[in-house]
Amino acid sequence: MNNLADFVILSAMLFGIGVYGLVTKRNALRLLFAVELMINAANLNFVAFNQYLPYAQQANAFGQTFVLFSIALAAAEAAVLLSIVIVAYRLHNDIDVSEMRTLEG
Amino acid sequence: MDYILAAVVVLGAAALGAPVLQTAERRFRIGAYASMAALALAIVMVAANTVNGGISTVPYFGNLLVSDPLGDIFALVVLSVTLAVAVASFYSSPNGPNIPSYYSLLVFSALGMVLLSYSADLLMLFVAWELMSLPTYVLAGFDKKRVQSNEAAAKYAILGALSSAIILYAISLTYGVTGTTQISGVVARLALEPFNPLVSVAILLFVVGFGFKMSIVPFHMWVPDAYEGSPPAIATLFATATKKAGFVAAIRVVLVIATVYALAPNSVFTLANVLAVLAVITMTLGNVAALTQKSMTRLLAYSSIAQAGYILVGFSIFAYSQQTGAFAYNGLLGLTGSIFHVVNHAIMKGAAFLAAMVVLTQLKRGDLGAYNGLAKRMPITAFTLAVSFLALAGVPPLNGFWSKLLLFVSVINTPLAWVAVAAILNSAFSLGYYFWVIKRMYLDPGESTERVKEPLWSVVLFAVLVGLMIGIGLFPQQFISLASSAASSVIP
Repeated sequence: MNNLADFVILSAMLFGIGVYGLVTKRNALRLLFAVELMINAANLNFVAFNQYLPYAQQANAFGQTFVLFSIALAAAEAAVLLSIVIVAYRLHNDIDVSEMRTLEG
Repeated sequence: MDYILAAVVVLGAAALGAPVLQTAERRFRIGAYASMAALALAIVMVAANTVNGGISTVPYFGNLLVSDPLGDIFALVVLSVTLAVAVASFYSSPNGPNIPSYYSLLVFSALGMVLLSYSADLLMLFVAWELMSLPTYVLAGFDKKRVQSNEAAAKYAILGALSSAIILYAISLTYGVTGTTQISGVVARLALEPFNPLVSVAILLFVVGFGFKMSIVPFHMWVPDAYEGSPPAIATLFATATKKAGFVAAIRVVLVIATVYALAPNSVFTLANVLAVLAVITMTLGNVAALTQKSMTRLLAYSSIAQAGYILVGFSIFAYSQQTGAFAYNGLLGLTGSIFHVVNHAIMKGAAFLAAMVVLTQLKRGDLGAYNGLAKRMPITAFTLAVSFLALAGVPPLNGFWSKLLLFVSVINTPLAWVAVAAILNSAFSLGYYFWVIKRMYLDPGESTERVKEPLWSVVLFAVLVGLMIGIGLFPQQFISLASSAASSVIP
């Protein structure tokens, strides 16, 4: 893990796992995990790019700053999603999204 | 520029203050009044910004925001729509649990959309995007005892979070290649880059991420469910405000990058072609699916998807003209048509959704059968719905005709003329389901001919919206020149 390509490939793999999870899983919590994986893949990208940038921009640490914003936003997003899942559990006693089919047409 | 910051402060204060104002007494509605006043005040401030030197394209506020006509137009649209939604929800469901938080979330979402319209930096854009999205997930599930509302919220929130994650990943790739998140800096750096697979992937991911909010076809599956299950006033917000925010984000990022960078040079796989294919699929599938719907909200949702396809036509010809250097006039005309159609769509769809909401709350039915003989039972609502459907179908002299005309004319005589053929066929096809509903309302006998009460707020809102549809239709010149100045501010 010493050059930029390693980090970018790792992050692309994390992103791919996230997409795979979203497509195949039907449990609402697992979907939430998958989305979090994708967000963290992007965060990893930011940090790695910031470290390896050949430009003067490396000094301003903008990538690292961006990650701080995105971690906070991801936490807010997780809170909202979890609260929706809790309400779903109260209504259905189940958090399987494929069981949610009152809206069809 | 100071006007924008003032509007942001007012909206932020109202959003933070509204829940606090209403703790002691249930009936105390000051939070709702404060929210509506803040929205109205913000509209005035943005309008003042439009008049007083909104032409500056120099970024400010730490290079995060830019005050240009494009931002002004979109900020005015989203703020006006949010105000209409606040008024509609205030009068249709005045009491209930957690009402102050409802208005607070509404204003937070409006604040996010305003910031998004003016953002000049990808960091600002992403934060504004989340500020717009997160409150709407909660608002979609606001009737927490109703199964449909929760289901709408769950589907919308999961796909919304997915779109945010995709946009974040795209931003990270853009940052990696260019070393900056300033959009003008990104463009300047990419102008030196002939082809870089990372950038092309990033652009496609941007299209996908914004496409979820714009309701472009492969990414549209949440739209009908979210519109149908959410509280009806919030469905209006989705169709007319958050969707527009998706378009302004796409213009700010994808189209601005498209001015200097071709997705894959010297191949058929260019951004213009990708957008054109998406446009044709979107309008076709939207119109075909709308034809078979039994519920009014779902019909409007699919029609809204189809309209997104028309708007994309202007995007694709703009990208084409910028990348080939030919047809510069057509490109500007197309983007003008897109922006003008976004404004018109907010008016037309807002009127249609609010009319459907009034029918739903007064008759307690949302299926198309409820609309039989509506002209006798609720004449004003039926008339509004009929006018908005005619405008959506593009019947002259209503406003929808002019923006569609601009969009279709812009692609004729260019290599993208096949898009115009598809769009005109679609437009004719869509008349089918629009006239079908108008026939139900005016010709078919209803279950009764008794007058149903139409609330005063709805009559006032409908008068304004119908006035706008006819007024813009008769005097489109001012609006077209405004949209045209917004379109030319996109080119760096």
